[in-house]
Amino acid sequence: MKTTAAIVGTGEVPTGNFPDRTESEAAVTACRQAILDAGMSPRDIDAVMPIGVVVGSRHFNTDLIFSRLCEELGLLRSAKLNAQVMAGGASGSATLKVASALVTSGAVRNVLVVHSDKFGSTTMQQGIDLFATLGISEEWEAPYGHNANTAVALITQRYMHETGTTEEELASVAVALRQWGVLNPHAMFRTPITVEDVMRGDHVCTPLRPKTMSLWADGASAYIVARADDAPHITSTPVYVRGAASLVTHYSVSQEKNLAFLAFPEVAKQAYAQSGLSPKDIDVAELYDAYSVMPLLAMDALGLCEGERAGKFIAAGHTLPGGKMPMTTTGGAISQGHTAAGVGVSLMVEAARQLMGKAGERQVKDAVNAAESGSGGTWMDSHITILSREAR
Amino acid sequence: MSDQSISRPVPRPTAWSKPYWDAAREGRLVIQHCKQCSAKIMNPKQYCPVCLSDDLGWSESSGRGTVYSYSIQKRSAASPFVDKVPYVVAVVRLEEGVQMLSNIVGDGALSVQCGDAVRVAFEPVAGSDIALPVFEKVE
Repeated sequence: MKTTAAIVGTGEVPTGNFPDRTESEAAVTACRQAILDAGMSPRDIDAVMPIGVVVGSRHFNTDLIFSRLCEELGLLRSAKLNAQVMAGGASGSATLKVASALVTSGAVRNVLVVHSDKFGSTTMQQGIDLFATLGISEEWEAPYGHNANTAVALITQRYMHETGTTEEELASVAVALRQWGVLNPHAMFRTPITVEDVMRGDHVCTPLRPKTMSLWADGASAYIVARADDAPHITSTPVYVRGAASLVTHYSVSQEKNLAFLAFPEVAKQAYAQSGLSPKDIDVAELYDAYSVMPLLAMDALGLCEGERAGKFIAAGHTLPGGKMPMTTTGGAISQGHTAAGVGVSLMVEAARQLMGKAGERQVKDAVNAAESGSGGTWMDSHITILSREAR
Repeated sequence: MSDQSISRPVPRPTAWSKPYWDAAREGRLVIQHCKQCSAKIMNPKQYCPVCLSDDLGWSESSGRGTVYSYSIQKRSAASPFVDKVPYVVAVVRLEEGVQMLSNIVGDGALSVQCGDAVRVAFEPVAGSDIALPVFEKVE
C-alpha cells in the first residue's frame, strides 16, 4: 500500500505520581513539545484529537471535548475539528488509524493527538474496585468476582498451556522491561530487578505475580500526524505509517475464541502485507504490556523471535538494551507506569522517537522500522502498527 | 482496606435474560438460540448476533463442559469478594460449543487445570433470588 500518513512530532511529560500537576498542564506541555518537535507553529494544527480520561476528573474530560486545548494552544479558528476517540489501552493505535484516515482524505491537514490522565493518587483498593467494573459485564462476569486482573490471568494461563511458556519466562519480561525503565528518565521504576525478585511476590491471581503487573501513574503524551507527502517538508525526521491493522474480538473475555493469541496472528499478517515489510526488517518492537504476557502474544505473532517462543527469546536476554530485538524501550506500563488509555500513546511516541533518532540513552542504533502493538478494554481488540523512516 | 459500601454484584435479569435466570433458579442451565438461523447465543442477547432476529428461544444444556482457562484469585480481590479468596474464575466451554465465565467450586477446585471436565451446579446468591451457575470438577 502506498504510504499516506506520517508522524512528524512527539511530546511527553514524566510518568509517575505528581499530585500537584493537573491533567490540563500535563496535556498542554506534551502538546507544546510535539508542536515544537515538529518545527510547526500552532496555526499549522487544524485538528485536535484528545483521548478520553478513564480515571482523572470528569471535568477535565469535558474540557477536552469542549476545546480547552484549542484555546490554551492558540488553535482557535485554525482547528476545524476537536473530537475524541476512545479505545482504552488501544487508543494510541486506534487514534493513529483515525488521524491517518483524516489527513489522507484531505478533510484536515495536521492532527494533534494527545492523552493525559491522573491515575497515580488512586489507592490500590480503589483501583481494584474500579477495574472490577470497567470492561466487565455486570450481569455475566462481575457476580463471579471477575475483574481486569483475572481477565488477563485467563489469557496468560491459556497462553502458557498452549505454548509451554513458564512463570519464570513471564517474570523475565518484567525484568527486561525494567532494564529499559532504568534508561528512561520518564519512567516511574528505574531500579533493576531479577527473576527471583519477581518470583518472590505471591500470586495475586494465578499465574500473575505483582511485578508482572503494572502500577497506576499520572502521565501525558502527544504526537502529530501529517500527510506523507507533506511530512518531509515539515520535519527532517518523518516517521511513516506503513501498516495499521486491527480486529475487535470480544467484550466479555469469556467469549474470546482464541484466548491464547487473541487476533494478533491475523492482524500482524495484515500489517506486514500493508507495509511491504517482513519480520527481518523490524529493528525495534514497541509492544503493549500492562501485564507481562501481552508482549509475548504480539511478539510471537510478529515472528520476531527467530523461530523460538517469545518467552524463551526474552528470557535469553534478546530484548534487552543492546539485544537483537529491543522491545518496549520505555519500560512499558510495567516500568514506566500505567496511565490508563495513555500507555499505547506513549508506546507510539516511543516508536516514533526511536525512528527519529531522539530516544536518548535508549536509542536503538540505526533503527529504520518499528512494530507497535496495542489492546484495549479487557483485551477487546488486537492492533499492530508498523512505522518506518522510509515511505513506500 | 476493602470498601464496605460496595455490595456484591448480583445479576439483574433483563426482559431477554429472564428465562436464563428463571431456569437457573430451578437448577437448569439453558442456552439461548435463534429460531431463524439456529445460532447458539452466549451470553444471552437482545437479538441474534448473527442475523439480528428477535425470534429467540431456549434449550437445555447438558451442563457438561471443559475448562478452557482459569485463574485462582488469591488476594487483592474487589471489595465484595475480599472474604471469598481463594476462589477460581474460569472460562468453561460447554459441550454445546458455547463459552461462559463462571467459578469452579467444590472438591479439587483449587487444583483445576485447563481441559478438566466439569459439570454445572447452582449457587444461591445470599439476599437475592438469583442462583448462579457454577461448575464442579468431574472425576
